[in-house]
Amino acid sequence: MKTVLFLILVLVSGCFAGMIHGLANLAIVEPYLDEAIGIENQNLFASGEEVDSPQFWVEYNNYRYWQKGGQILAGAILGTSFGALFGIVFVFSKNVLPGSSNARKAIFLSGIMWFTIYFIPFLKYPANPPTVGDPETVVLRGILYLAFIAISGFGVVGFYQLYKRLQKNKKFVAYLGYAVFMSTVFIIMPQNPDEITAPMDLVNGFRIMSVFAVSIFWIALGIIFGAFWQKFQPDKPVKAEIH
Amino acid sequence: MPSAREITISKSKTPILAIAILAVIFGFGLFTVGYDQGHLFSIVLGQEAFDELWIHELTHDMRHAAGFPCH
Repeated sequence: MKTVLFLILVLVSGCFAGMIHGLANLAIVEPYLDEAIGIENQNLFASGEEVDSPQFWVEYNNYRYWQKGGQILAGAILGTSFGALFGIVFVFSKNVLPGSSNARKAIFLSGIMWFTIYFIPFLKYPANPPTVGDPETVVLRGILYLAFIAISGFGVVGFYQLYKRLQKNKKFVAYLGYAVFMSTVFIIMPQNPDEITAPMDLVNGFRIMSVFAVSIFWIALGIIFGAFWQKFQPDKPVKAEIH
Repeated sequence: MPSAREITISKSKTPILAIAILAVIFGFGLFTVGYDQGHLFSIVLGQEAFDELWIHELTHDMRHAAGFPCH
């Protein structure tokens, strides 16, 4: 394995996919964020915490510019981060992933990771726009979300070990085991403690677009990573001439 | 006349150092975008970082859109 090439390939793939995620957010999620923050502002005016003044809007526009501009950079950081995780999983699993080429294997793996460490956790703890969420519970919610992702991710690894040891006609037991395990965890883990007071049309619209944008990220990561791996082949055996 | 012979050296061993580097990058990136509330800059700026929340604000929209609890 060419280590430096492997590292560059992994990180660049994740970074590119993350920037695509940021662009997707700007296109389809941002309108919902603007609407939610608009409601937050109205609540601040109504409670007297802020005054609807030109000065408020100057400050608001400044930090919203910073937040919106950060989508691409934050996407690049988060994409590089998940790209790193993807690279680790790929290198350990590529020999057993289905697919006739490494490009197909990468796309297959991105689908598995999307489902297990994004979509299942999303069903339990769906994304929320601003206006939803009590600052007092943010640490608890953060821990719950991360714990659910970790349990689901390590659950897949564990049940894959079982899958390998089972005879061909009994391999469905591993899939069934994972489904039962995650269903149990789903029921046992506490709910998000915060009440939703924002309009449900806004919340649901935001969640749907959020799923679309994250799905675009995982598709892009699988395609870019797979294409790079196929082209540069960091695991290609080294050839040498001896005289 | 000397003859050249080509051999193939197969090095399929998993690069442990690379895996360790990727694991650190994963953790750092996840914390930065998903969880930082001033912690990273507080190493240099102290309490001011928790008041200003630069990274939190920079990653705010992505944090919501990617499903992380934000505030």
